[in-house]
Amino acid sequence: MMMRAFLLTFMMMLASPFMATAATASDDNVLIADVSEDNVAITTSFHGTQLLLFGAISGEKDDDIIVIISGPEGAIATRRKEKVGGIWVNTAAVTWKNAPSYYQIFTNRPLADIITPLEQDRLKIGYKHLPLLTDDTALSKAELDGEWRDALARTMQNVNLWRNHEEAVSLMRGALFRLDVPLPKNIRPGTYDVRVLHMRDGAMISEKFSSISVAKSGVGALIYRFAHDYSFFYGIFAVLFAVASGWLAAVAFRRS
Amino acid sequence: MPVGHLPAAGYSKHMYIYLPIAEVSLHIAVVIGLGGGVGFLSGLFGVGGGFLMTPLLIFLGVPSAVAVATEANQIVASSVSGVLAHWRRGNVDFKMGGILLAGGVFGSTLGVFLFKALQEIGQIDLVIKLSYVFFLGIIGALMLIESARAILRSRQAGAKRGKLHQHNFLHGLPFKMRFRKSKLYISALLPFTLAAFVGILSAIMGVGGGFILVPAMIYILGMPTSVVVGTSLFQIIFVTANVTILQSVQTQTVDFLLAGLLLFGAVIGAQFGSRFGAMLKGEQLRGLLALMVLAVSLKLAFDLVVTPSDLFSVEILK
Repeated sequence: MMMRAFLLTFMMMLASPFMATAATASDDNVLIADVSEDNVAITTSFHGTQLLLFGAISGEKDDDIIVIISGPEGAIATRRKEKVGGIWVNTAAVTWKNAPSYYQIFTNRPLADIITPLEQDRLKIGYKHLPLLTDDTALSKAELDGEWRDALARTMQNVNLWRNHEEAVSLMRGALFRLDVPLPKNIRPGTYDVRVLHMRDGAMISEKFSSISVAKSGVGALIYRFAHDYSFFYGIFAVLFAVASGWLAAVAFRRS
Repeated sequence: MPVGHLPAAGYSKHMYIYLPIAEVSLHIAVVIGLGGGVGFLSGLFGVGGGFLMTPLLIFLGVPSAVAVATEANQIVASSVSGVLAHWRRGNVDFKMGGILLAGGVFGSTLGVFLFKALQEIGQIDLVIKLSYVFFLGIIGALMLIESARAILRSRQAGAKRGKLHQHNFLHGLPFKMRFRKSKLYISALLPFTLAAFVGILSAIMGVGGGFILVPAMIYILGMPTSVVVGTSLFQIIFVTANVTILQSVQTQTVDFLLAGLLLFGAVIGAQFGSRFGAMLKGEQLRGLLALMVLAVSLKLAFDLVVTPSDLFSVEILK
C-alpha cells in the first residue's frame, strides 16, 4: 500500500513542471487522490488506526484543498438533561434519522478563510449544511438547526467521530497534498465516502469522490454474525460455555 | 498487517482487544484485572460481584445494555462454580430453589422486556443508576448496622438468642408448602413473589441479585443461614441463564468474548479471595462488604446530582 503512495508521489513529481503549465487552462484540471488503504479490517486487536490520503492537483500557489470524509449514516439520538427533583434526568431528545456516524473535514487553512458560508451551504460542506432529518418532535426548526445541531456536533466531537481539522492538509508547491486521516477505535463498520475538493479563490474548480470500506473481520466478525444471525443458539452457547467453565474452575481449584 | 496501517502513536496495539458486540477496544490487562479484582472480592465476601462489575464496565465505556447482559452471562459461570461446593456439603434446598427459580425466571423475563422498553425511550441509564443507588444504599446501610451490632454483641459475652423467626401475616397466605431442608412451612407465594421481584432487578441491573435475595431469605422467609447461600446460588444460575438467552435474542448485547475474559480473571481472583476471607471474622467481612456496597451507591448518587459538564449526550443507535 505504501508502495502506491511512493509511486504516485514520484510520478507526480516528474509530471509537476508540465502540470503547472497545463493548469493555466482551467478546462483540463487534474485532481488525483488516493488513500493508503481502502479496506480497513476491524480485528480483535483493532485500537483505531490512521490512514494516509495523498494526491496531486494541477494547481496554483494559493489554491486550497478540502477533504470531507463521511462515515455510515444511521440513527443518532441526542438527549438533553434537566434537573428534576434534585437529579439530572433526560427530559428532551431528538433522533437524527440519517446522521453520519463519522464526519471529518480536513483543510490546509481555516475553512472560513477558504469559502463563504453561502458557498459552504451550496456545496454541502460542514455539519451546519448536512441534509439531516429528525423524528417527530415538538421542537422548532430554529431550535433543531441551532442548539440541537450544535449539540450533536459537539458531543460527536467529544467521542472523536466528528471533527474539523484546520491546517491538517499539507500542500506542497500547490501541486501535491497529503493528510493523515484518523479512524478512532469507536468507528462503525461500513462505507466511508471520501470527497476531495480543489478550491481557488473561494470557488470549487474540481471535485473527486472515492470510498474506504471498514469491516469487522476474523474471530470478532464471526462472533458478531453468530450473535445476530443465530441469536437464540448464541444465547444457549454462551450459557453452556459459562456452565462448563464454572464447573471446570470448581474442579480445578477443589481443595483436596 | 498491511503496510501503511499505522497504529496511533503511544499505544502498543497488541495489548488491546476489540470487543465484537460491545464495539469498544479495551486494554486486555484491564479486562482480566477487573475480572480478577471483582472475583477476589466475590470470593472474599461470598457474593456474585455483579453489583460492582456492571457499573465498572459502564465506567470503562462498555454500553450499559452490553454490560448488563454480558455480566448476566458471567454470573452463570461464577454461580455454577460456587454452587458445587455447597451442593457437596448438602447446603442446597432444591425444593425452595425450584420455587425461587420459577419466580426468578418469571421476573427476569419481565425485566428483559422492561429493559428494552426503557432503552427505547432513552431512560435505561437513569433507571439502572437509580436502582443501584436505592437498593445498594438500603442493603449497605442495613448490613452495616447489623454487622456493627454483631461486633458489639461478640464483645459482650452471654447475649440472649432470639426466636428462629417471627410469625406475622405472611404466614397466613395460601398455597402452604413444607420445605424440609429449610425447616419451614410457608406459602409458596412468598418465595415466588420475592424471587420474581429480584428477577426484575437482576435483568435491569445486571446482577445475580444475591445481595438482595440472601438477606431476604434470612429475614423475610426465615430460612436457616446454612442453606441460604447454596440455594440462592442455585436459583441465580437459572435466572442469569434466562437473562443471557433472552438478551441474546431480544437485544444481541451479550458479548461472549468480554464474558470469557472477565470469567478467566474472576475464577482466579475468587480463589485468592476465599482463602484470604478465611482469615477474617464473619461480622468483620460483612462490615467491610457493607462499606463497599455503600461506597458504590454513594458514588452513583453523586453522579446523578452533580451538574454534568455537558447537558447534552449522544448515542449512536443501531
